[in-house]
Amino acid sequence: MIDLIHIQILSAIMFCIGVYGVMTRRSAILILMCIELMLNAVNINFIGFAAFRDFSESQRIFGHVIVVFIITIAAVELALAIAIILRLYKNKSSVNIDEVDLMKW
Amino acid sequence: MDLIKENILILTILLPLIGATLIFITPGYLDNLVKYIALIISFVTFIISILIFILYDINSGGVQLLWDWEWLSLKGAWPLGDKGITLNLGVDGISVMMVLLTGIVMFTGVMASWNIQNRSKDFFILYFLLLAGVFGVFVSYDMFFFFLFYELSVMPMFLLIGYWGSSSDFRTFSRTKEYAAMKLTLFLVAGSVLIWIAIIAIFVQAGLGSFNILEIQKVVDDKFPLNFQQINFFMIMIGFGILAGMWPFHTWSPDGHVSAPTSVSMVHAGVLMKLGAFGIIRIGMTLLPEGANSLMPLLMILGCINVIYGAFSALGQTDLKYVVGYSSVSHMGYVLMGLASMELLGFTGAVYQMFSHGIMTALFFLAVGAIYHSMHTRDTLILKGIFKKMPYISVFFVIAGLTSLGLPGLSGFAAEILIFLGVFKSYGSLGILFGSLAVIGAGITAIYILRLVSKVFFGVPDENKQNTNNNLDATRFENTAGIILVGLILFAGLYPLPFIDMITSGVTPILSNVLGGL
Amino acid sequence: MGINLTYIPPIICGVSFVLTALFARKVPLASSLISVFTILCSFILFIFILTDFLSSDLNSIKFSIDWIVVSDMRITWGILLDSLSVTMLGLITLVALLVQIYSISYMKGDSRFGWYFSVHSLFAAAMITVVLVDNLILLYFAWELVGLGSYLLIGFWYEKRAASEAAKKAFITTRIGDVALLIGIILIFKSTGTFDISSIFHIARNGGISENILTISTFLIFLGAMGKSAQFPFHVWLPDAMEGPTPVSALIHAATMVAAGVYLVARMMPLFSLAPYVLDFVVFIGLFTFIFAGTMAIVMHDIKRVLAYSTISHLGLMMMSLGFMGVASAIFHLIVHGISKALLFLGAGSLMHEMDGETDIRKMGGLINKMPITAITFIIGSVSLAGIIPLSGFFSKDEILLTVFEKGGILILLPALAGAFLSSLYMFRLTFITFFGSLKNDNSKVGESPILMTLPLILLALLAIFMSILLLEISTFKGFIYFISGHKAHLNLLLIVFSSILSFVALILAWFIYIKDSKYLIDWYKSKMKWNYNLILNKYYIDELYQYIINQIIIRFAQFVALFDRLVVNDIGVDRSSLSIRFLGLRLKLIQTGKMHGYAISMLFGFLILILTWAIL
Repeated sequence: MIDLIHIQILSAIMFCIGVYGVMTRRSAILILMCIELMLNAVNINFIGFAAFRDFSESQRIFGHVIVVFIITIAAVELALAIAIILRLYKNKSSVNIDEVDLMKW
Repeated sequence: MDLIKENILILTILLPLIGATLIFITPGYLDNLVKYIALIISFVTFIISILIFILYDINSGGVQLLWDWEWLSLKGAWPLGDKGITLNLGVDGISVMMVLLTGIVMFTGVMASWNIQNRSKDFFILYFLLLAGVFGVFVSYDMFFFFLFYELSVMPMFLLIGYWGSSSDFRTFSRTKEYAAMKLTLFLVAGSVLIWIAIIAIFVQAGLGSFNILEIQKVVDDKFPLNFQQINFFMIMIGFGILAGMWPFHTWSPDGHVSAPTSVSMVHAGVLMKLGAFGIIRIGMTLLPEGANSLMPLLMILGCINVIYGAFSALGQTDLKYVVGYSSVSHMGYVLMGLASMELLGFTGAVYQMFSHGIMTALFFLAVGAIYHSMHTRDTLILKGIFKKMPYISVFFVIAGLTSLGLPGLSGFAAEILIFLGVFKSYGSLGILFGSLAVIGAGITAIYILRLVSKVFFGVPDENKQNTNNNLDATRFENTAGIILVGLILFAGLYPLPFIDMITSGVTPILSNVLGGL
Repeated sequence: MGINLTYIPPIICGVSFVLTALFARKVPLASSLISVFTILCSFILFIFILTDFLSSDLNSIKFSIDWIVVSDMRITWGILLDSLSVTMLGLITLVALLVQIYSISYMKGDSRFGWYFSVHSLFAAAMITVVLVDNLILLYFAWELVGLGSYLLIGFWYEKRAASEAAKKAFITTRIGDVALLIGIILIFKSTGTFDISSIFHIARNGGISENILTISTFLIFLGAMGKSAQFPFHVWLPDAMEGPTPVSALIHAATMVAAGVYLVARMMPLFSLAPYVLDFVVFIGLFTFIFAGTMAIVMHDIKRVLAYSTISHLGLMMMSLGFMGVASAIFHLIVHGISKALLFLGAGSLMHEMDGETDIRKMGGLINKMPITAITFIIGSVSLAGIIPLSGFFSKDEILLTVFEKGGILILLPALAGAFLSSLYMFRLTFITFFGSLKNDNSKVGESPILMTLPLILLALLAIFMSILLLEISTFKGFIYFISGHKAHLNLLLIVFSSILSFVALILAWFIYIKDSKYLIDWYKSKMKWNYNLILNKYYIDELYQYIINQIIIRFAQFVALFDRLVVNDIGVDRSSLSIRFLGLRLKLIQTGKMHGYAISMLFGFLILILTWAIL
């Protein structure tokens, strides 16, 4: 029987993978993918709570609404980020973020 | 008629906004059209503000002409109730006076800015936005919108001073308009941070889920313990005090006045500084009566410092506009002292002083602006014999000066005498000390005003030192504006009864609220 | 019928001010006529009021209109009519009427002719209000407006630097007194809760005001009176006020406004009588000013300044009388002095009118043949003020000396007599130098002034001679002293003889020095007592002292405050604190390395720390 705890463990694992990816990868594309992973881990968490915890109807819907919200925002963010990365590649012929520190100071 | 009566308060906010929109869609090269639109709109607003004064029924008192519109509904998951945020408008005796003042200053301010040539379109858009904010503050009974309009009235100031202002270079130091605009904005924003914290704290503590001042007022006794009130009143006092030019947070105001263009100085000193004192009354004393009660001695001391310190600073200045700027600091001190006296006489006097000082200082800046416009200098060491060159403007300045030194028959005396009486009656023998200092402050005012008048206006013009080819007396718009203001000063000084009645009806419940906290 | 119209004079004068001020530039002559007409109406009304007042038994009549009402505190326009205010009303309207008629001719051709008359109307309205109002706040109200009228008229020729400086000086000096006056009034309000003069007296008599408050507030009120009445040390403004047109000096700075201080003390006498220390102070100031100003009057060369110091001196005499609670004698002297001094100033104006504004008496002399009417009326005025029997000035001064003798004894009387001797001396000196002796060559073309100017002079001279009739009993009127105080006047023959001898000695002394030209005494004084002469000629250096205090102490302090505000409060307090934030920002920005992994790791650790703290707490 799948329980809330399993979903939470799954979400935690996904989140940790995401964090690990963000920390270690050099490629902007990969970092972006890892961020998506983290977002989805959070989504799973929300859905899990909405499904398994003893909530009223309106609160349950609140969880679902937030998930849809996050998905939307993730999509928008992805579009924007890809655009930035493409420009970056055009300018620097590389997507290695170690080489990009224009935003310091 | 009923339709107007029901919606008259929102009109005060909407009319300036409509004016701004109309000017926005007018092509910028039609300079005169822009100015005439501004004139008409401001005149209509002026009429509306007089109508409000007439429509308010003094005998029944309280908050009248209520109007509300639900702006944001938060039904459902909102943890703190389901009232949402509503735009509540209403006026009591105090705000009626302030609305009237704003109407007057707005109308005369438009006439005073007739000689603005540079991007006049943008100037008037910002000017109307500023005044929409000011009207909004005076008529809203909702803390959220109170704050929103407050910010709306502060922000255009930055652009108005920063772009249309003038930088002054004195021998030993200089004040650029950018510096003044920046300092003004930073000070006022710092003040509004404190205010916003206090507003949120009051909102949360009241636990009604509503920003409505009238509703929160009902639960003050149950929900607000003494130390909560003290802390928040302190923040309100400092936050609004900054706007009222309270010592030692006053330095933005003389610099701001000096750098601002004429009409902005008029609105700024005439109305905007009153927002501070009004905020202390509307939020501080209404919602935090016990805190107000226990912190009033502090406000009294600060007000007293304002009076004396401002008067001496004005005496030490050599720039015409700085003298007037510091005199505003000094006069706002009277307002603070009157509020702090916690006597009906002093409180009424304080509000009347807000009104009287608003008109007076508008007249002051009108005159100084016209002098600067034609003489190209404001240095009192250079200017001489202006009476010969600009008789009308000089008469305006002298009347404003006599008002500020409290000459009977002009509005300043009626207001100041009430404040003196209130302060003398309060705090036992300490009240005598504070009251005497206040009276002495009026004496020092006489010294600096009369020195100025005899140095700058009397005598024979010095042809070598000041520009004399381009000496124009006031334009007919400036004359009209000046005559309106002078007429009001005389009326308010000789027959203050209708105004005093109006103020008393607004002040009495607030004061009994504060004193009831004892 | 008359009494119910008491409120009319100030109102019509006020209306006349508004009308004339608005149209003065367009129709100057009409505005002067309006002004004269209103003051004439006021004078006629005064006669009605007086006859009504004398025939009725009422002591005071009141009616009132609200001015400010705040819950239970009411400030109302009200009128208090008693013998004191009726007397003052008469003096003011009469002198103002004559002076305004005189001015039509004197000020002819001035570029601000109309404005001159509108300020006169303002002054008349305010001055009448001062003597009529029934409460202290409105008394202060009108009191200040009187000061404004004086300011505007002293500074009438504002192009002259001296005039604008004098106007400023007058306003500021009296304002210092007024600050004290206002504090005094409010202190009384604090302990009685009312401004109404008669209620205050009632409460004070029943012991409703504590002794300290009473002493302090009467002292402060007296300071206000000192400022207006130019008593030492506030006397400095009055001689300078002579920069204004001469008729103004006659009306405001001799007959009416400066007498307002005396009137105020007389009006508040029931309060002063409860504060013995303050009364002693009043006597001291009065006596000192009487002699002090007399010494200065004796050495001045400017005809108007001599008269100004003489005014200060005589006001001192009145104050001294008030200090001994001799209200009636003080007010009688006030009237007689007002009439005589107005006469003298108008006479001086007539001289100046014919001599192109010359005021230095050394350049005059022998004018009696050239300007007979001016000369004779001037001599009558000065003889009256010098106290030669039987002119009215003699009787009024004698009344005061009698009061001083009875209440203060011989020790105060002797210096007072010395002062009286001085005042005789300088009046004769002035008359002899100006009108007798040899005619200077420059003045050979001088002629008599026009009729509009000589007519008021003749009227005033007649009054100066016959005013003492007021002291007599005529049917129901039991004499002026009784009219004011309710006691009958009486005479002390020894004092009369002694003070008459003193005046004659002064007359003979002046005759020898200034007519016989026996310079011996003057030369001796100028050579042996040079320091003393210079001290007095320079007005005891009091003006310099005040100038020093204002320039070196007050203005310096103000400049210090202004500098403090700019350098300490603004530059250090405001700019430095904003700089410190900027400085902090410069250091803290180095954290922003731009390396993304650094950000990610710090974010992670930050998050972990947050979780840990939350878990621990």
